[in-house]
Amino acid sequence: MPERSGRQAKFFETDQAPRRDRYQVPTPRLIQSVPGERSSSIDITMVGVIKRMNVLRSILNIRLGPGAAVLPQDVTRIHMEFAKNIEDGHMGPRKFFKENLPRLKFWNPSVPMIVNRTANQHGPSTLSLYFREGGTGATEFTMPSSSTKGHAKAPEPVEGERVVTIDMKNRRSEMILKDFMDTTGAVPVTPTPQEEAELKDLAELHKRSEIDREIGRKQQEARRREAAMLAQARSEAAALKAGD
Amino acid sequence: MASTNRCLASLARLSLSTSTTRSLVVSTIPKFLVPSVATPLVRYASGSGSGGMKKKAPKKKKTYKTFRSYDLSPMDQVSLCDAMRYLRAFEVGQSPSSVKYEVSIKLKTNKNGPVIRNRIRLPFPFKTDTRIAVICPEDSPLALEAQQLGAVAVGEESLFESIRQGNIPFNKLICHTDSEAALKKANIGKMLGPKGLMPSAKTKTITSDFKATIHELLGADEYRERNGVVRMAIGQLGFTPSMLSENVKKLMETVKTDINEVDDNFVKALDEVVLSTTHGPGFSLNGKFNPTDDKIKVEHLQSVM
Repeated sequence: MPERSGRQAKFFETDQAPRRDRYQVPTPRLIQSVPGERSSSIDITMVGVIKRMNVLRSILNIRLGPGAAVLPQDVTRIHMEFAKNIEDGHMGPRKFFKENLPRLKFWNPSVPMIVNRTANQHGPSTLSLYFREGGTGATEFTMPSSSTKGHAKAPEPVEGERVVTIDMKNRRSEMILKDFMDTTGAVPVTPTPQEEAELKDLAELHKRSEIDREIGRKQQEARRREAAMLAQARSEAAALKAGD
Repeated sequence: MASTNRCLASLARLSLSTSTTRSLVVSTIPKFLVPSVATPLVRYASGSGSGGMKKKAPKKKKTYKTFRSYDLSPMDQVSLCDAMRYLRAFEVGQSPSSVKYEVSIKLKTNKNGPVIRNRIRLPFPFKTDTRIAVICPEDSPLALEAQQLGAVAVGEESLFESIRQGNIPFNKLICHTDSEAALKKANIGKMLGPKGLMPSAKTKTITSDFKATIHELLGADEYRERNGVVRMAIGQLGFTPSMLSENVKKLMETVKTDINEVDDNFVKALDEVVLSTTHGPGFSLNGKFNPTDDKIKVEHLQSVM
């Protein structure tokens, strides 16, 4: 998130020091926790800055990747309809909704993208694209908001609008995206060199966390084994006592 | 066999020991009967005079008086519209009335001492599920009035009884000053306290003018500082940037006045403001409003979700 200097009115002030201009990538450390020592005495206030920043860096994935594309001006709105679960060919549309639609929404915040999820597993699965005809001015329309109960049916096109419907049933999300890009003529967003470097950093971080997770898993296993042995010994002792 | 060996060993030590100070013991009790006294294990390799490794005292954990405050320089802070753009992308396809914007205000504050707690009426309220119960003398004109004002449960002993049985059909409880004594006698603090429902003069829920209090409660929301953070739902996903900024502004103003009212002996200051949604990540706000991307206008963030 590059911050540009602009004269904007601050609508609230915090008492913090001015932040450094360039965010420095923190070097991940292998923190070895002491078994049995849980974070009981640590403040439960808010998660630490570095940890939160690492999570936040994953928002790169919403700026870049399959689906990150700028739609042309004549796309007025998008409507999706599919069932809640994957049975009967609804996996592709679900993946498209989960992985590609957020990216499209990020790059095209003004285009309404309405999702209608239904309980009817054998129902249709469609992607409706609405286009402005003839490049005339803004088209006025009313739009239902997204629903998880099947209330947001695809609206009829208004005057000066045409609809292209793509059937998504039994298709993979990649194919749906390809069809989408071909039909709309959207321009994919390519990462800048800076973003590419950030992506690389992020991949490295994930690799590191894999190692860390393995260490943690082993420690936890050892802790559990010890606890189980203790519990067993205790129960045996109790049984002996009861036997006497 | 083992016992004879042990005896022999202590005998052998006896013969090797040249200390003269222990002759006293020898004179009374044969040494091999009290081997521990007779042969103190002296370890020469371990250093220190007393012999043996010294056990290190367990490290004492450092305790802090204040909640931890982080250096915010590694945090990318964004303007309100930028945060909204990201969050709207995360929440695409969700029902706009069920997804909420939330704000967390981190404070620089002591772990003990006064906490910030107040009631606020947001410029754009969005909560409609406030159900109020009123404790007042049964079948009095007051009770009738409370019912007309929209209280879901009214009464004294009948209300206490239903609370004791765990039947709590309300989320706000007001007590009239006439019934204060009855409330104290009823002994229901154990049931209501953990839910934050117990009426008290401090929270202005014991009142003589419950008409004003009900009016204040409907469409009003409470916030309080827990573990040094004030967390509060601030709007629905369907809100426009200006609506959300109005709400945030109002909240910040009230929190600031609350902070100023705190005694100077206690640390209390604003640290960080984080905006998130029900399913989205948290964005640290920098206090600005406009989007940083030239191509994005404020109007773009107002489309139907």
